Amino acid sequence: MKNTADLDISIGSDALTLTLRGALNLQSVPEILDRLEHVPRPLPQRIRVDLGGVTRMDDCGALVIMELRRMAGASGGELEMERTPDHVRELLDFLRLDSPPEPGPIRRIRPDLLTRFGEKTMHVVDQAASHVAFVGETTTTLASLLVRPGRLRLGDTVSYMQRVGVDALPIVGLISFLLGLIMAFMSAVQLQQFGANIYVASLVALAMVRELGPIMTAIIVAGRSGSAFAAEIGTMKVSEEVDALITMGFKPAMFLVAPKVIASVLVVPLLTVFSNLFAIAGGLVIGVGTLNLTLNAYMAQTMSTLSIFDINWGIFKSAVFALLISTVGCFKGYRVRGGAASVGQATTSAVVTSIFLVILTDSILAVILRYWRP
Amino acid sequence: MSAPVITVRGLTMGFGDHVVMRDLNFDIHAGEVFVILGGSGCGKSTLLKHMVGLYKPMAGRITVAGMAMDPDDDGAYRRILARIGVMYQGGALFSSMTLGENVALPITEYSGLRGRAVDDLVRLKLRQVGLEGFEHHLPEELSGGMRKRAAIARALALNPEILFLDEPSAGLDPISSAGLDALILRLNRTLGTTFVVVTHELSSILTIASRVVMLDAASKSIIAQGDPHELKEKSAHPFVRQFFNRQPGMEE
Repeated sequence: MKNTADLDISIGSDALTLTLRGALNLQSVPEILDRLEHVPRPLPQRIRVDLGGVTRMDDCGALVIMELRRMAGASGGELEMERTPDHVRELLDFLRLDSPPEPGPIRRIRPDLLTRFGEKTMHVVDQAASHVAFVGETTTTLASLLVRPGRLRLGDTVSYMQRVGVDALPIVGLISFLLGLIMAFMSAVQLQQFGANIYVASLVALAMVRELGPIMTAIIVAGRSGSAFAAEIGTMKVSEEVDALITMGFKPAMFLVAPKVIASVLVVPLLTVFSNLFAIAGGLVIGVGTLNLTLNAYMAQTMSTLSIFDINWGIFKSAVFALLISTVGCFKGYRVRGGAASVGQATTSAVVTSIFLVILTDSILAVILRYWRP
Repeated sequence: MSAPVITVRGLTMGFGDHVVMRDLNFDIHAGEVFVILGGSGCGKSTLLKHMVGLYKPMAGRITVAGMAMDPDDDGAYRRILARIGVMYQGGALFSSMTLGENVALPITEYSGLRGRAVDDLVRLKLRQVGLEGFEHHLPEELSGGMRKRAAIARALALNPEILFLDEPSAGLDPISSAGLDALILRLNRTLGTTFVVVTHELSSILTIASRVVMLDAASKSIIAQGDPHELKEKSAHPFVRQFFNRQPGMEE
């Protein structure tokens, strides 16, 4: 199969004459177009092309004709095609080349700054409105569960409890243990100078139970489960599964959101308790191993430092964080439109938003606690 | 008859322990419109994915364009890929790109065309599938049938020698479907493009197919092979007769 084409160009005073031979296809056309571009301008008014030697031509070959017509049009004339073979004529008819496709780039046109600013603003407003609607729907759904708890999909809820809680235990445990270890290790260097070794226990226990335990757990859960919720619901939106739920008469909030939120609120506080325990164990290893504290002394100091209020407060906070993470994850999933890229954005956004909201809420709760607690 | 462009020898395909088809043998010749038939779930799309190297056979060999299909051999696999185009069942358009960008992607990557020529060619491709004017739309903004046609335009982008189409006309209205058949026949006649098509559409099969194979899930093998009109008239196999003549199911 001959895959090459020849182009002869002869420039007369009144006419440009071109002779095309061979196969006009994706292999040969780029070079021909390149040569046409380098024909010296201005062009004569008449442009003639002899197509008698064209053996094969596909839609790429039509580009050459289009380009020649443009050249002829630019110099105010019309392209004269000579000895056009039937197969070429048929192709040009099939492609309806008499009405050439409109010019202009097929790349996405980036709107100007003002338009983009407007679009972004509308997006934020739209998002805020749908956020309110989502929170409202979720709240009414959860409230209706208080009246009729039997409507909760128990199997799903238990499965999410496993995924959010049990499956996260190893990583939460490991990170917390190391965190306790590091805190004890770092503070020991300072406290040793004053002979205050025993306060390592207080420091680790108080810092973890009051602040770091709930926060670290929340961050891990946001990364593991908040993202998973967003991706799961987002993919369901893309594949019309959410539409199917709606038309089958299920409420997505009940079917998809409630099990995730309830499971998270139940298990994340438990994870926090484990996080606290593992961190204290980490501190203990340093305390007993390198600071010459006895096991009893370390534990006694830990117990005397912590009040039951501290522990409850940490657990309460982590329940609030769980509520935030799970609803944000579900909400971001719901906002998915289109395809794979949108799912990715939703997942990222779920994690970033959750972590931001967790830290923000933690700060607000810290201020409230400061003035409220006697 | 011209030399085979695809040969399938002793192909056994399946997943894990589950065998889908056993010991398939057939050739596809240059310039044919070869249609793979069979009941739903019998492994037609799986066979197609074996032929384009996405799945590995459990046993047997496939050659495409004279080269052994072996996705592990990167160089040979790329040489095969340069000569084939594939349209997937669901369209598989990239959702983050407009239709125009979807079609332009292979053209800008693998051809010497640039600038305005790419834009023009993309518009001509979209015109051939009846989607001119939609180049700035995202796939999500289109109907299922339109996405399918756009996917065909993308598969056609480089005018490959062999085009694999997985259920091209499913979900298309009869007019678009007939237009697609005309496009297939046109490309086949003028450019000599070989087509490997998985389809259920009886009218389409009888219009376009020069040869068919029919797969059967029960026997895990090919039950009929040949010219579709002859099979329709002469085949003695009950399933084949049922398929072509739309007879209600026969009790066995």
